[in-house]
Amino acid sequence: MTTSNGSILVCRRVDFSVQAPGGHLDILNDISLDLNKGETLAIVGASGSGKTTLLGLLAGLEQPTAGEVWLAGENMKTLDENARARLRRRNVGFVFQSFHLLPSLTAVENVMLALEIAGLDRVRERALEALEQVGLSHRLDHYPRQMSGGEQQRVAIARAFSSDPVILFADEPTGNLDRQTGQAIADLLFGINRDRGTALVLVTHDLQLAGRCGRIEEIEDGRLVRSTTPDPGNRLQLIEGGQRQ
Amino acid sequence: MNAFSLSARLLLRQGRSGALLILASGLIVATAALVAVGSFTDRVGRALERQAGEALAADLVIAGGERIPAAFFDHAESLGLATAEVISVSTALFVGEDSQLVDVKAVSKSYPLRGQLRLADEAAAEDSARSHGPERGSAWMDPRAQRALDAEVGDRAELGVLELPLTAILTYEPDRAGGGFGFAPRLMIHLDDLLASELLGPGSRARYRLLLAGEERALASFRQWFADQRLDGQRLITVGDAEDQTGLALTQARRFLGIAALTSVILAAVAILLSALRFANAQRDLVALLKTFGAGAGRIMTALSLLLFYLVGLSILIGGVLGWVAQGLIGQILAEGPETALPAARAWPVLSSGLFTLLLAAAFALPPLLSLRRVPTMRILNRSLDTRPGLAGALWLIPVIGALTIPVVQLGDTRLAVIVLGGSAALAGCLALAGWLAMLGTGALARRARASWRFGLAGLQRRRAGGIVQVTALGLGLMALLLLVIVRAELLEQWRGSLPADTPDHFIINIQPDQVESARSALLEQGADNLQLRPMATINLAAVNEQPPPDHRMAGQVNVSWIDHLPPANEIVAGSFFRSDARGETSLAQMWADNLGVQLGDELTFESGAQRFSARVTSIREVDWNSFNVNFFILLTPEAADFLPHQFIASFYLPDPKAADLRAVSRSLPNLSIIDVGAIIERVGEIIDQVSRAAQVVFAFTLLAGLVVLLAALESTRDERRHESALIRTLGADNAMVRRGLLIEYGVMAMIAALLATLASALTGWLLAAELFGFAYRPSPMLFVLGFSAAAVLVVGSGWIGNRSVLATPPVRILRTGN
Repeated sequence: MTTSNGSILVCRRVDFSVQAPGGHLDILNDISLDLNKGETLAIVGASGSGKTTLLGLLAGLEQPTAGEVWLAGENMKTLDENARARLRRRNVGFVFQSFHLLPSLTAVENVMLALEIAGLDRVRERALEALEQVGLSHRLDHYPRQMSGGEQQRVAIARAFSSDPVILFADEPTGNLDRQTGQAIADLLFGINRDRGTALVLVTHDLQLAGRCGRIEEIEDGRLVRSTTPDPGNRLQLIEGGQRQ
Repeated sequence: MNAFSLSARLLLRQGRSGALLILASGLIVATAALVAVGSFTDRVGRALERQAGEALAADLVIAGGERIPAAFFDHAESLGLATAEVISVSTALFVGEDSQLVDVKAVSKSYPLRGQLRLADEAAAEDSARSHGPERGSAWMDPRAQRALDAEVGDRAELGVLELPLTAILTYEPDRAGGGFGFAPRLMIHLDDLLASELLGPGSRARYRLLLAGEERALASFRQWFADQRLDGQRLITVGDAEDQTGLALTQARRFLGIAALTSVILAAVAILLSALRFANAQRDLVALLKTFGAGAGRIMTALSLLLFYLVGLSILIGGVLGWVAQGLIGQILAEGPETALPAARAWPVLSSGLFTLLLAAAFALPPLLSLRRVPTMRILNRSLDTRPGLAGALWLIPVIGALTIPVVQLGDTRLAVIVLGGSAALAGCLALAGWLAMLGTGALARRARASWRFGLAGLQRRRAGGIVQVTALGLGLMALLLLVIVRAELLEQWRGSLPADTPDHFIINIQPDQVESARSALLEQGADNLQLRPMATINLAAVNEQPPPDHRMAGQVNVSWIDHLPPANEIVAGSFFRSDARGETSLAQMWADNLGVQLGDELTFESGAQRFSARVTSIREVDWNSFNVNFFILLTPEAADFLPHQFIASFYLPDPKAADLRAVSRSLPNLSIIDVGAIIERVGEIIDQVSRAAQVVFAFTLLAGLVVLLAALESTRDERRHESALIRTLGADNAMVRRGLLIEYGVMAMIAALLATLASALTGWLLAAELFGFAYRPSPMLFVLGFSAAAVLVVGSGWIGNRSVLATPPVRILRTGN
């Protein structure tokens, strides 16, 4: 699919429901969307609207109960959990609200672990380059507990793009950070998207952050209810404003 | 909802949670170890009580190295006392093709004066009481003799020149020291048969006893009379003395088991504390919620205490059953089968162990639960407002101290307990230190590792404190078992192997001077090798440099020999050995000289009967006592043969014991006592084996407690592991990679525990060998193979059980956890 129309992520009529004591509980309903290489997409919605579940399905962390998700040309319906994990290794990067670094590893080791899982060579050099890009060359051998929230998130971003994925999923990446640090982290994410052509899927409450994406999908009660394209001028202004920070 | 229904609901809902299961396991292991040892101790205690008052088979005994004169019997009878005579002698007994060193006890018709004998018609048959000893012309053997000689009732036994039919199996005799745990097997015959057997020649080393029973006043009167009439070498034995003797062996076995139980209890306490902390931590949200809904702190605390109480009740039940089975096993192993069985187990020790488990729970599980009282209601709104979980104040030290003190008191020897506890603490400290260093090593390794290795070793680093506790607990349990199972057997085997091939394995005592040549030729004819025949006399040390000798157990009566050249296995360390024509000189063993403070040039004065003579110390010898040659503390110059009454002692090696017919030697020279050292060593080995097998049962609980600590530590870090596993799966690790990481973490931990346990047991073995036996112990590959494979199976196996939920954690969890 990527070859035919350039889509890196395709989601077709996806439903997701769970078995609850009172019967089926529908969490996502009839979701369809596409994302091309280098595109940026924000998924916004209220708490409990299903946006995090959608992110999990798009990244292959879970299987939909109906419909299909194609990631990097692979239909994930045909893949078991291990095969989906292998698909993520090379194609997907993650940034989380709570950073999720391994506390017993230093900054550089956290990045190296992701590269090793991806089976790449020259892991140390690549990890050093990535940390340099996020401005953390001076914090290489520090443990997460010795770093601020913003620094930890920068390590997480370095970990996410160091293996050069085609798509980066970010779940409330600025949710645990103050406004200024959050802005800097957002700049980093959009900078990677711009410089490396990595597609970016953002789940956020922050409409200003969402406004920097090429497209915003709004989710309500498990359905995509509105798709908007922010004014490119505004986007550019936001990006440049961010860069000036 | 009242506290009862709240606690019942909590138990039902949380019953399957890992923390509660492990808390229960800790309580079960502690109960089982205590019940096993407590019940066994109780049975032994009752066996001793049963014997109380019968331990002499009389009220008073006169013992001596020579036959008790008839005047003693006459006087006792004139006072209205009942009398009996017992003569014991160690000698070889032949049945069919088999021979065995036995302790022959010959008794007069009135024996026993107190208590009863018990006899069975055949092995394993029901026994019945008998109030007097065997008739003339018949012999009774104990079950051990029956097994050693492979004999049956009806077989004929050869004893000196006598041939007697074995007519019954003797299952109980009241005055047998140590009950069924004595040294040599027993044969009981009539006194007249022994007197006719020619076994009681001069110097036969028989033990003679006069048994007395009757009125207290008559006994007191006899004691007074005896004080004046006492002959050399005679002594009075009271019931108290006999009980002390009887209890000694069993008390030591009991202490050994008590120590093993103590280590299990300590490890179980660690497991209980860890799992209670984990359980309490998991309940903080619930407690905050209940408080928000208006439940009072008092009611919540009552409910949690009740929950613990139910759990303890259940654990006592299960642990009680396990301990009951184990104590039966220990009793069987130590009593060598049911025929010398101890009194039946009873419920009291189970109850007292149960009470102790309750105390253990109060000391180690209740404080973490009760600390929940301080959980602030605000936690429900914001977790960061929670107080730090911890143990309640210093008041809780009381049950903790109680829980640790009671087993020490039960051990009955505070000094020993302090030494053992101190020793174990030091050992645990060393293991923990070594564990910490090993962890540091793996940390350095982790920096150079890749993917699964990095993940696995990082996990080990992250949980380093827990890992050290686990490695130490498991290392201790494993080391105890390795010492008992492998090192003990290897030590004995290597010690035997360290002796030269022609090391004497037989001794003959009581050879009279006129029998020396016939004994020599008879022994050579049977193929005796390395034969040494040495004179021996028993004399008293009367003075050192004309001063009374020091008060030391080695002073007084000593065995001496004389020779004109330095004997083998002796080395002069001071002075020079006397020339063959020297007179009035003596050579001393260093150990004896050091103990009595005697030096070169000192003059020693000896007495033998009416003889008194002196000798000057001209050399000091270092003696290799392990050589099994006949050696003496004191060697005199050869002229001593002219004036000292003496006999000869022979030592020799029998290359082919099957082909040799020592019975012929025994038949032609019936007063000779042949001692088969090999058989004695074997019997010592059997006794050690028996006690260690019993201890293994208890140490199995120690290992089990170590495993529970491991599981408790696993359980307390389960959430952390699940989180890490979900994270690396999200990053693209497949199941195999996660499994490999966990396997590496546990495998490395197992290797560290195994390395510590095997090295520590090999080192202990080496120290024992060097200090006690004087040879260099070489641990076999088996020690390492078994140590490493046991650790691998135990750690990786329990890691597997404890981590099933970790492997099953879906990666999407990472999106749903806040931290």
